[in-house]
Amino acid sequence: MKQNNLAVKLVNISKIYQLHHEKPTLVENIFRKNSREKFVAIDNINLEIEKGEKVGIIGPNGSGKTTLLKLISGIATPNQGKVQTWGKLVSLIDLSAGFHPELTGIENVYQNAMLLGMNRKETGNKLKEIADFADIGGFFDAPMYTYSDGMKLRLGFSVAIAAEPDVLILDEGVAVGDENFQKKSSDKIEEFFRQKKTIIVVSHWLEYIKRNCKRIIWMSEGKILEEGGLSLTKKYEDEFSK
Amino acid sequence: MMMTEKEIKARYKMAVFGFLWIFLNPLVQMLVLGFIFQFFIPIKTANYFEFLFPGLLAWNFFSYTVTKNTPMYINERALIQKAKFPRETIVLSVVLSNLFHFLMALVVFVLFEWLINSKIHWWHWCLLPGIAFWLAILTSGLSLLFSSLNVKWRDINFGVQALMPLWFYATPVIYSLDLLPSWLARWIYLNPLTAIIGILRWAIMGTEVPWFSLLISGISTIVIFETGVMVFRKESPFFDDWV
Repeated sequence: MKQNNLAVKLVNISKIYQLHHEKPTLVENIFRKNSREKFVAIDNINLEIEKGEKVGIIGPNGSGKTTLLKLISGIATPNQGKVQTWGKLVSLIDLSAGFHPELTGIENVYQNAMLLGMNRKETGNKLKEIADFADIGGFFDAPMYTYSDGMKLRLGFSVAIAAEPDVLILDEGVAVGDENFQKKSSDKIEEFFRQKKTIIVVSHWLEYIKRNCKRIIWMSEGKILEEGGLSLTKKYEDEFSK
Repeated sequence: MMMTEKEIKARYKMAVFGFLWIFLNPLVQMLVLGFIFQFFIPIKTANYFEFLFPGLLAWNFFSYTVTKNTPMYINERALIQKAKFPRETIVLSVVLSNLFHFLMALVVFVLFEWLINSKIHWWHWCLLPGIAFWLAILTSGLSLLFSSLNVKWRDINFGVQALMPLWFYATPVIYSLDLLPSWLARWIYLNPLTAIIGILRWAIMGTEVPWFSLLISGISTIVIFETGVMVFRKESPFFDDWV
């Protein structure tokens, strides 16, 4: 079967959002009959990503990059088409989502790891590794509200990588924390790049994509405008430096 | 399960009395309500405080949970937008953590009854977990229904806030049904909580409960739960679009 080689398969997917200018309410829904404005975020996209591929997605703001990632990671559901993924998928989009300020670092690690699909035992085994990587010292068993923003991000990143994803999704702002931790985290991501992990990166940081990705997807207005190798970034740069 | 633990821990982390609050809260409420209705409005029920307590516990569990859960997906939008996980865990963890509190308080009350009440029926107590389960199913169904709809229509939350006080008076918590004229009592039987609280009192204190109310309540609980699950199944894949 050819599909065993695939990590992600998208068939004819479209995502349409309803625009609402105010909070949606039931009362308004009953009394106002005018049709809603629609916004097509993803327009009939077909895409196959093989295992071990490093894919960079580029495109201007509002071209549907983040929506595409949300659809791949299963956070959002397409209105049409089918999304299939193989293997454990972890997205480093917002690292501190899911942290509860009243709980300690350790409790939050368990909580967040569960959201990433790890069970209690797995997390317990990885606890030391996570603590070492985050390197937040005595704060590890202190309540989260005593943490600085940097500490939260570091802990979030450490949990995410401990989940050992098969498919890693990176959104903007890949580097977190101070100089030292940035080095450590980018080393770790490089390590993922070297292993046969599938990586999907969305970034305006072209240098990063050039350095790490082999396949480039250029999106525009919800469609895949062009697809190709690294030479595409050159064309993309030219297009926008005119 | 872990989300439940988080709920419980987060709620009592800072409280010095810890679990004492679980019992103290309804106790204070019972004393206040008991005082008011005993002295200012004459309700002829023997042992009014004793009568009041189980109904209050069940009502508190139900109303706290549904009220807290209704805006839950909006409050947790950071999680909804950033992570993929079974969406029902958010709502069910609130149900479970409140159920835990309800059961704790119930156990203390049953022990208290055992000390003061001589004519209790041991085998009735065996049904208590079943009754709690029934109440939890009803509460989960409504929680799922309202929280899913509130994602799409934000005024559902206001509706629920307006509904709860009305529902309280439509439930025989502070009064017993034989005080009402029969035309009104008939309507009150349509409320699924009526039979649940009725059978809860029966199980603890041996008061009577009409069997047909159990049937009505059983059916409406199933209908509410099924509706809640159905709406949740239909809406939950699209929560991210709306939050």
